[in-house]
Amino acid sequence: MTSLAVAPSEAEQSAAPRPGHLSLGKAFALVATHAVLVVGAVVMLLPFVWMFATAVRPPSEILAHPLDPFPRAFHGVENFTQALKTAPLLKFMANGVIVCAGILIVQLLVAIPAAYALAKLSFPGRSLLFGLVIAGLCIPIQVPALPLYIALANLGLLDTYFAMMVPFFISVFAIFLFRQTFKTFPDEIIQAARVDGVGEIEILWRIVVPSAWPAIAAFSVFSVVAHWNDLYWPMIVIQRLEYAPPPLGMLFFTGTESGANYGSLMAGATIITLPLVVLFLIARRRFVQGITMTGIK
Amino acid sequence: MTSALNIQPAAAARRRRIAALGALFAAPAAVLIVAILVVPVCMLLALSFTDYEIGAIAIRWVGTANFERAITDPVFRRAIANTLLYVAIVLPGGVALGLLFALLIHARTRTRGFYEVVYFLPVTTTLIAMAAVWQFLLHPRLGPVNAALKALGFSEQAFISDPKLLLPTLAAIGLWQVVGFNMVLFLAGLSAIPRDLYDAAAVDGAGGAVDRFLTVTWPMLAPTTLFVAVTTSITAFKVFDTVAALTQGKYGSEVLLYAIYLEGFQYFKMGYAAALTVVFLAFMLAFSLVQAFQLDRRVHYS
Amino acid sequence: MTMMRRAVLAAAVALGAMAPATLTPAKAQEVTLDVLYCFPSFARFHEPLAKEFMAKNPDIKINFRAPSPSYDEGHQVMLRSALTNQLPDVFYSGFHLFPELVRTLVKRNQVVALDGFLDKEGADFRKANFSDNLVGLGIVEKKIYGLPFNASNPIMYFNTELVKKAGGDPANMPTTFDGVIELAKKINDPAAGINGMAYDVHGWPDSWLFEAMISQAGGRLLNEDGNDIAFDGPAGLQALRTFRRMVTDGGMQMIDWEQSRQQFGAGKIGIFFTTPAHLTQITNLVGGKFIWGTTKFPIADQANGRIPTGGNAVMMFTQDPAKQKAAWEFIKYVTGPEAQKIVVEMTGYLPTNLRASSPEFLGPFYDKNPNYRTPVLQIDRAGPWGAYPGGNTVRIWRAQRDVIGKVMRGEVTPEAGLTEIVSTTRDMMKAK
Repeated sequence: MTSLAVAPSEAEQSAAPRPGHLSLGKAFALVATHAVLVVGAVVMLLPFVWMFATAVRPPSEILAHPLDPFPRAFHGVENFTQALKTAPLLKFMANGVIVCAGILIVQLLVAIPAAYALAKLSFPGRSLLFGLVIAGLCIPIQVPALPLYIALANLGLLDTYFAMMVPFFISVFAIFLFRQTFKTFPDEIIQAARVDGVGEIEILWRIVVPSAWPAIAAFSVFSVVAHWNDLYWPMIVIQRLEYAPPPLGMLFFTGTESGANYGSLMAGATIITLPLVVLFLIARRRFVQGITMTGIK
Repeated sequence: MTSALNIQPAAAARRRRIAALGALFAAPAAVLIVAILVVPVCMLLALSFTDYEIGAIAIRWVGTANFERAITDPVFRRAIANTLLYVAIVLPGGVALGLLFALLIHARTRTRGFYEVVYFLPVTTTLIAMAAVWQFLLHPRLGPVNAALKALGFSEQAFISDPKLLLPTLAAIGLWQVVGFNMVLFLAGLSAIPRDLYDAAAVDGAGGAVDRFLTVTWPMLAPTTLFVAVTTSITAFKVFDTVAALTQGKYGSEVLLYAIYLEGFQYFKMGYAAALTVVFLAFMLAFSLVQAFQLDRRVHYS
Repeated sequence: MTMMRRAVLAAAVALGAMAPATLTPAKAQEVTLDVLYCFPSFARFHEPLAKEFMAKNPDIKINFRAPSPSYDEGHQVMLRSALTNQLPDVFYSGFHLFPELVRTLVKRNQVVALDGFLDKEGADFRKANFSDNLVGLGIVEKKIYGLPFNASNPIMYFNTELVKKAGGDPANMPTTFDGVIELAKKINDPAAGINGMAYDVHGWPDSWLFEAMISQAGGRLLNEDGNDIAFDGPAGLQALRTFRRMVTDGGMQMIDWEQSRQQFGAGKIGIFFTTPAHLTQITNLVGGKFIWGTTKFPIADQANGRIPTGGNAVMMFTQDPAKQKAAWEFIKYVTGPEAQKIVVEMTGYLPTNLRASSPEFLGPFYDKNPNYRTPVLQIDRAGPWGAYPGGNTVRIWRAQRDVIGKVMRGEVTPEAGLTEIVSTTRDMMKAK
């Protein structure tokens, strides 16, 4: 059972067992704890259960049994095909893949060398650059969005994959994070490699980067999740449906089906949420590590 | 290599080479930072003092007129009020619930993994898709939430069209998504508390769970708690997706980012939208400053 | 070095994927038209029409942009696109915003007049296919810039069984709103979860239902010169008072317009006012659960009462001659009798093509589905759908809607609400 950290049941360990009513108290505490946790779990899971249950129900059932999550008839195939017919959901997800991959690749290519330079090489303007990186951490995408939009519009580059990716090519967070990681890399190894005549680029990519793999992997997860779910920027620059990433596509799809066919709407929602949920279940630890990094951001 | 006379030029040449490499490695990032962050932010500040509309032929300098207009604009005032109210619900709720569940789950052994997955699941979802689900769940007459309310004897509520209920409803959805995230952060913080502290406290007579919490857990969690608080505030302040998906700003549900979106990208009052964005940036900087101090201290501790 | 090489390759692939997709290589004579419409749920008929058209015209490809959620938002998207040179080739503009769009774009030579194309079809083409009334909706400064594609006036839907239970006569529904509210009061049954009526002006995406209430009583949105409000008086006051009474007496629940539709479909609303464009959708929602019908919109002022004509006109923007030819073929098709027949059967809209109502197209359909005939029966009441000078129509409606909501919830009196609406509207009519 992979957990984020050790699970010390110090609650049980440090409390010296005493006879009599404390065991009753402990039992009560246990029951109460689980009760609260179960209620919380129900609330957390309710939308998922309902989403899926509605996605497999025929329309007549959906409105007739508001409180009953168990479908009586199976209508799932019809609902899912209707959803896929009504909107190019798979295209939206393909767009998500393209955009997230493009962004991540450029982010890594730009941030890793820069982080290494900030961590290990001294060059003129280094503190200025680091200052800018720190300052950039405070600036979410919605701030430069307006001027970037104006610039892209004047360049005629709206409605393209490029437009969706360009503001995110620079990830000051990645630079900051990798710099932290690289700083801990032993200088002696680098020096030794230099003495051996190994080029700095090789040192970076073949020696230093592999050691930072956990941080890079975690950041990659963070980047993919953040940009897969991003609505604000794509909503502004994309008008053509065939470029829409999943959130934008979902917005369009909701407009199409709302009020008409809840079964198909929920089927569509299921399709859109599936990738990240599956990714989470497979790579739980990395996933959580990556997302937790937004905390540091 | 060892002669003092030879060190100077060789070392200097090495330093120059390193400096050139450093500059080369950092160049793409530097260029992008300037192009994507520095220049746009400067443009934004400049724009906020003009009356620019996209495609306009002439721009006029209007000084602080945009900011003055913002102060009296009912939509903007409502947006700020709504956003602050949203944060006021999500911040304490998110921190408290995150901490509560972390404490409860931390001590579990067999069920811990299960609960971790369940509570974190909402964090992974695409909010727009879940908003569609919530819209159905909260339907006044036909959705399960209201059906349950009626079964319990309450009257049905129009969660997403009643102005009095709208913000709390959006905040509840925001909470739903953020609690698992905070819980994970608290779990990490709880795991970092050394066990001997609890043993020491037990020796000192602090045996009960509440005592342990107050004397050891809470103080040791302080950095994490502040951390979670600031992160939650920043995320809450950026609320946009649920408004765009559920209400499109109707029934008085505008929030700051949505108001900026309307002004800049639906009405094209770019100058005014820039001014509103500057206000947004000011709030973000305030939050980030707190976070930066926090981060600094954490880095030094670890 | 492999890692470096791999990285470079990956970057190249990414860069390739990023290339602006405006450089789509076109086949020798194939023309692609970029089309934008409003209300995503109308994909129901836009998509089949496009498919039919492409089957008949293999060298023209129709490409739809992400539909705008409403006319108002589509309008803003169009204005923005004009300034960023992202205009589609064809757009369906809501009637109320159509003149504003034309006036803005004609100054920059970005919209195409259709008179030339219409004339080239021959003298009788226009007379045989389009009524002057409807074509008039597409005329700005004496030139035709759009042909009507969808047209409708609001109608009354009612749940026959609930009406009968309350003592009403489904064959003789009230013809004034006072009468409607009276009947709704009797239908209203909170214990059974039944609402008497719904008139969702407080959440409507545009000013249509608000103007309908004003003009059915003989009022007008703007004065003759079109430069000031004309509902600043009894006309506006009665509208707001009626809205409030719908909530206090008529048993109206203030929910979103989409939720009302679902609720009517579930049999929980007695009388429901909305666009005939949702007839088919509501038919499917009801699915035989109960008997229901439609009838004409109540008109208090039988002499001068009008109801605004909702819907949209199809417009052309492309300046490229080959694309213009293709666009005209497309416009001709969608406003032609076959296409209009499809649209009417899928929605409930008024056919905008004269030939479409003839026996060879829609005759039998109307016979089998009398509910769909209602919009046709009130054509003589169709009036224009208004907009405000100053270019802020969309923003004005949203501000008005907020106040109307407050009046309906009883937070402000109708008198105070009217004052606020009038002053806000006047301010925004002047603002740049």
